[in-house]
Amino acid sequence: MNAVALVKQVPDRNSAFRPAGDWIDESSLGYGINDYDRYAVEAALALKEAGHAAETVAVTAGPADAGQVLRSCLAMGADRGVHLITDRAHLADPFFVARALADAVSGLDAGVVFAGLLAEDSGHGQVGGLVAGLLGYSFASAATGLHFRNGRLEVHRELEGGRIAVVELRLPAVVAVQTGINTPRYASLRGIMASRRKPVERMELAAPADGAGLRRLTLSRPERGASAEILQGSPQEAAAALVPRMRAGAGVSFPGDAS
Amino acid sequence: MSRRVLVLAERSESGITDASYELLEAASRLAGGQDGVSAVLPVADASEAEGLREVLPAGELLLVEGPAHASPTADGTAAAVLHAREASGAECILLPHDPVGWDVAPLVAARLGTAAATAVSALSWREDGIAAKRSAFLGKFVQEVEAPGLPAVATVERGAFPAREPGPALSVRILPSPVGPGDLRSRLVEVRDAGAGGVDLTAADVVVAAGRGLGGPENLDIVHELAAALGGVVGASRAVTDAGWLPHELQIGSSGATVSPKLYVACAISGAIQHLVGMRGSRFVVAINKDPDAPIFGAADVGIVGDALEVIPAVTEAVRNSG
Repeated sequence: MNAVALVKQVPDRNSAFRPAGDWIDESSLGYGINDYDRYAVEAALALKEAGHAAETVAVTAGPADAGQVLRSCLAMGADRGVHLITDRAHLADPFFVARALADAVSGLDAGVVFAGLLAEDSGHGQVGGLVAGLLGYSFASAATGLHFRNGRLEVHRELEGGRIAVVELRLPAVVAVQTGINTPRYASLRGIMASRRKPVERMELAAPADGAGLRRLTLSRPERGASAEILQGSPQEAAAALVPRMRAGAGVSFPGDAS
Repeated sequence: MSRRVLVLAERSESGITDASYELLEAASRLAGGQDGVSAVLPVADASEAEGLREVLPAGELLLVEGPAHASPTADGTAAAVLHAREASGAECILLPHDPVGWDVAPLVAARLGTAAATAVSALSWREDGIAAKRSAFLGKFVQEVEAPGLPAVATVERGAFPAREPGPALSVRILPSPVGPGDLRSRLVEVRDAGAGGVDLTAADVVVAAGRGLGGPENLDIVHELAAALGGVVGASRAVTDAGWLPHELQIGSSGATVSPKLYVACAISGAIQHLVGMRGSRFVVAINKDPDAPIFGAADVGIVGDALEVIPAVTEAVRNSG
């Protein structure tokens, strides 16, 4: 039984994003692994280290240069990678991506499949669950804790309002992890060296049918009804203008105020 | 053009959840009136739902009844939703964009052979499908998408629609559940409080919240100093508590504390919807961020665009000198 991590290559979160057409301007963007997915990889590695998985396999769907995120997974310690090669534009439909990932996962003898809760770019937050649904695996999202006992997986799920649900899943299962579930390791120099010799299986995906699946229409900055008054000037000038507004708006006094 | 819409109704200690009333409003608008709305409530025994009929303003209330629904699970709820979908003939299924919907929506969508439109704030019919306005790039952008094929599935962002007033369901049907407890792959063991810390964020008049844009825990001192100058307490965004810079109990947002202070100062917080949900009850909001497009400025009364590491000490100084 293996531990699988589903990972996605996304634009670097520190980039200056500009909407262009139905998506962002992709020229001169840096790319890297989706932050949520680093936690998925760490969870898979930890499962193997605890003796509950024979191998850890990282799987991605994306263009040729998305191989970089598999390399970073291998450098963290994953044993091998599977790269489903497809145009970046085809990632627009989560169902197309999930179908391809599910087909790949079905051949991996997966006990637990970890996915990030969502991708920082498209933010659909459903690929892990779709894979579970397509394969008939168990599923839990928003996982913030994991315990393995008696061949079953106990998952702590974060609910709203500071509550936790404890659920028990039969295997195989897909778990979509929240950030903070663990502390993702950084690749060591040795890990980076070793990753070069680790196998990555590459497969070209057939393009989706025209007009099938979720389609992007537009992307824009949100309209702001009552937008903030932006204070201009140097930090000191802006700060000086801010203080009387805070006092009046909030109706509070501050500890240093003369009584 | 209007067609029937199905929503998942969820129970809370006090009846039906606020999220459910928002879904009922969204569904009523999409269906062109309450008549076109079906609500599904999975129950172990239909007698549990007595009384709920009076407060569920749907055209029909479908009680999917069976021991598998004694406690909610992802696969049990998904099965109940799919069963009610068939029974009602609904062409769109609305679920909450929260931990319940994240669990259930993809399982339902997978069975229908489609993706869900998630994090949705507006919905309309297309000839063969739906169009939706949704949040992308962690709330930075609004995206319009088209999901071809019916029935469609969508998860609706909290707060995107007003909560519908409670009122009676026009009819009730009881449907035997298609699943038994033995069919389920998941089991709810318990629900418990994550455990609160010593600081009561919810009672503070002034909250100064630290975000990832501060760069590292070594830069939190300036946030503590500003909080001290304002007589407030320090809170944090999820990114900051996840990174271990501050303890989890200081997290403000949908998965953490909900605060409504008189003054809220967001320091280097971009303002993902999950954070905004936790602070939008604040009386006066100040945002400090280097990105003029950060969604937090849409939720703030006053903003300063600049490097938080320079602006925060300047504000602290200005507050101290103003007394």
